[in-house]
Amino acid sequence: MSSIRVKGVRKSFGELEVLRGVDLEVNSGEVLCIVGPSGSGKSTLLRCMNLLVIPDEGQIFLDDVALTDPRIRPEWVRQNIGMVFQSFNLFTHLTVKRNVMLALRHVKRMNRAKAEKVAVSQLTRVGLADKLNAYPAQLSGGQQQRVAIARALAMDPKAILFDEPTSALDPESIHEVLAVMSRIGQEGMTMAVVTHEMGFAKEVADRVVFFDAGRVVEEGTPDEIFERAGHERTQAFMKKILR
Amino acid sequence: MTGGSSPASTLSPGSPEVRRRDWKTRLRGGAKKVFVWKIWSHVVYGGAAVVGGILFLLELGYLGVYHLSFALGALHSFLAIHPLQGFLLSLEVVGVILPVGFGLGFLVGWARTTRFVILRGLGSVFVDFFRSMPPIALIFFFALITGLELRGSGIDPYTAQTLIMWMGVVALALHTAAYQAEIMRAGILSVPAGQTDAADALGISRMRAMFVVVLPQAFRLSLPALGNEFSSSIKDTSLLNVIGWMELGGVSLALAANSIEYSHYLAGSLVVWIEAAFLYFVVTYIATRTVRGVEDLFKVPGLEVAKS
Ligand SMILES: Nc1ncnc2c1ncn2[C@@H]1O[C@H](COP(=O)(O)OP(=O)(O)O)[C@@H](O)[C@H]1O
Ligand SMILES: [Mg+2]
Repeated sequence: MSSIRVKGVRKSFGELEVLRGVDLEVNSGEVLCIVGPSGSGKSTLLRCMNLLVIPDEGQIFLDDVALTDPRIRPEWVRQNIGMVFQSFNLFTHLTVKRNVMLALRHVKRMNRAKAEKVAVSQLTRVGLADKLNAYPAQLSGGQQQRVAIARALAMDPKAILFDEPTSALDPESIHEVLAVMSRIGQEGMTMAVVTHEMGFAKEVADRVVFFDAGRVVEEGTPDEIFERAGHERTQAFMKKILR
Repeated sequence: MTGGSSPASTLSPGSPEVRRRDWKTRLRGGAKKVFVWKIWSHVVYGGAAVVGGILFLLELGYLGVYHLSFALGALHSFLAIHPLQGFLLSLEVVGVILPVGFGLGFLVGWARTTRFVILRGLGSVFVDFFRSMPPIALIFFFALITGLELRGSGIDPYTAQTLIMWMGVVALALHTAAYQAEIMRAGILSVPAGQTDAADALGISRMRAMFVVVLPQAFRLSLPALGNEFSSSIKDTSLLNVIGWMELGGVSLALAANSIEYSHYLAGSLVVWIEAAFLYFVVTYIATRTVRGVEDLFKVPGLEVAKS
């Protein structure tokens, strides 16, 4: 696994300054949870980490490689840092198995048999061995998100970014997705997770950062952030969510 | 992480696979790929191109002879016409208009969704022009401009006439291409942004994602509208007789006019047009059925267009 370091990253969309100098580190094998109000720039921060959004200023490192170096191919970055979206974004026209195989075939250039083997083993890992030939529309939200996780895992990434992976799910599905994520975290994957699931953050996260208005306000262990936050803004936010 | 163990970290800033490949390696890799691709596809595509080319040449010669017998022939040749002859000619014209219109429409529609301003601009000019013109005016423009260009060029009248008539067919192909471009553009744009996000996030290049993620979905979403446009386009060929084509519409007009020689002029005309309508129905029916068949063939849960 690898570490991701974010140094002084700034990003504006037109007049709107969304990231105002972010410093953040996800250590190798660590699960970092990012919490904060909506619109504070959490998604933009995650999208900077795999260059879906190019920062205006600052640097991002995957281990020692500066991803923000213009000589780096964005495709290389993305095949090494997985991402799981709030809305799953499975390829609608492909079966579950082919969803997982697509990037293996076209990015990793595996032959069909090898890609199929990897896809089946990853789908088994997230408990969907019986859904290989189903289409995304035939699955529940929780199942779709687990396919999305398997699709990211299959690329053998050095880290995975999760952007509110359970925000679009019903309580039962939330539970099954979080269970899969916990297991991956415990197996040593480097993970940055934007989430409002405080239970998950408390149990699985090594560290939590509170993010607001384009900056890291405070960071610490889950206990420190949830129970003994130093900042007023963090306290106010926690009060609202933990209510 | 997956499939066993991977080294803790094998990255170093200088290792070649980390770097952006320069254009030379890209070209070399690309050329190799193209070559490998060619091995199996050459036979198929090359064969199809040769056969298509021969058919096209034969077609031109045949049409020339065919046309001559009408355009330069005496009135009595009209009496010898059977609607089926016109029908065959209509089929030939449709056989040119549909593939050309589809191919061009696809390219223009795609061009209008790219981020290249020049391509987008050219695409919109094309669509705006050919979509806002009645097909009959386009046919006349193309034919008349060709006629004026050829005047005094010393080209023999027969070849000139053939060229003029084919320019009318080109006009119809461009007209339907403009409509199909809009259908294709709408199809591409209706694929949710999340789909390309996911492809990006997996390291799939933009171009490849277009082919393996966006177009397969856009194509499915466009099919019903394409079927509709195909049937319009088939029926638009009935305008071609205004520049001398003796296709189904032209033949029917001539036969209907000739029925004046019979005692029941109106009934005679009616029979001719019922026959024409039936033949048009057959072609459009086959075309729309085929599109529906393709729709069913590629049907996927979650990508259905609302059933009628
Ligand atoms: N591509 C974009 N173009 C313009 N504005 C954007 C874009 N992406 C995000 N924003 C804006 O940036 C702000 C932060 O968005 P986001 O990163 O999604 O916040 P969060 O994930 O914390 O809710 C919002 O005001 C949003 O409207
Ligand atoms: Mg967000």
